[in-house]
Amino acid sequence: MEPQPEEPGAAERGGSAENPIPLLLRLRAQTKQQLLEYKSMLDANEEKTPEEIIPEKQIENKIEDLENEIEKVKIAFEMKKLALDSELMDNMNHILKLNKIIMKLQQESWDLEEKLLDIKKKRFELKRASESKFLEIQTEKNKQNDDLANMENSDKMKTLQQKLQKEIQITTVIQHVFQNLILGSKVNWAEDSAFKETVLQLEKNLTMI
Amino acid sequence: MSVLRPQDQLPGLNAATILLVGKEDALLQQLADSMLKEDCASSLKVHLAHSLPLPSDVNRPRIDLIVFVINLHSKYSLQNVEESLRHVDTTFFLGKVGFLVTGAGRDSHCSVHRNTVLKLARAYRSPLLFCDLEVEGFRVSMAQRLVRMLQVCAGHVPGVSALSLLSLLRSSESPCLEDL
Repeated sequence: MEPQPEEPGAAERGGSAENPIPLLLRLRAQTKQQLLEYKSMLDANEEKTPEEIIPEKQIENKIEDLENEIEKVKIAFEMKKLALDSELMDNMNHILKLNKIIMKLQQESWDLEEKLLDIKKKRFELKRASESKFLEIQTEKNKQNDDLANMENSDKMKTLQQKLQKEIQITTVIQHVFQNLILGSKVNWAEDSAFKETVLQLEKNLTMI
Repeated sequence: MSVLRPQDQLPGLNAATILLVGKEDALLQQLADSMLKEDCASSLKVHLAHSLPLPSDVNRPRIDLIVFVINLHSKYSLQNVEESLRHVDTTFFLGKVGFLVTGAGRDSHCSVHRNTVLKLARAYRSPLLFCDLEVEGFRVSMAQRLVRMLQVCAGHVPGVSALSLLSLLRSSESPCLEDL
């Protein structure tokens, strides 16, 4: 039974490129699992193995008993896990419900904020519009004032005023002439009421009109 | 040492090694190629050997899974595997050994009976897999299964150990076969 030469059939394939953090987590899980396996092997080796020679049938029975034990332990473990899991599932369902409520409320508050923003925008626009209107009114008023001032300063007004002055002077001269005529004639003007009114009217200063 | 032990060396980081033992070189090579084509997060190494014991002068990483390939068409293949089994340490049989039977499709060529292999697998309490390695589709799916088994045996799958995988793979034993 010589050792046969090993076939030149050793082939390998490297792992694909991966982000460092998931890779490290995976390696950590691997190392943990391998450590667990070694520890369990150590624990198993501490058990004393029987030294005497036992017939094969008994060995088979013993092996089957051990296998059944393993199965029982596994089933008990799975049941425990299920029991824990149910509480876990309850907690998770509760968390999911709360999360849904939170999301709904957040959505509502976001909608309200949007409405508030819209109203603020509208108010701002109205303020701007009112400001511009106010400005328009002011400019109109100023224009009117300017027009008025311009009109006053225009030449037409000057000539009219001059004419008016001339007429007033002429009428005043005529008034004086009539006054002097009546006074010079030495007539008693106070007796006749109509005559009195006329003389008093001649006294009126025309520039005061 | 001529006996193969599972804890001879420390495991390599992110590395998993499988040893395929069998006389059919072409089939083993094809199976190895299919396995290497599989998508796997850990780095795989496939070693092929005709029989055990392996030469001890080769620098070899820790072997996580041994698969003995038996061809039902030749009695010699069965004999070879039976002899090699003696060079494997008993602690290997806690889930790190598997038997792969090929050639069951063509019943006329089978010189080894199915029951013989069944008894062998039951005696060593290891999983027995049937696959026609010459058919491409079956080979690829078997390669996927082997890669998954290898990951579990190398300890790369958290929560599943080789021993738990063994009890999962154990098929229910029919009482009529026991009486045979």
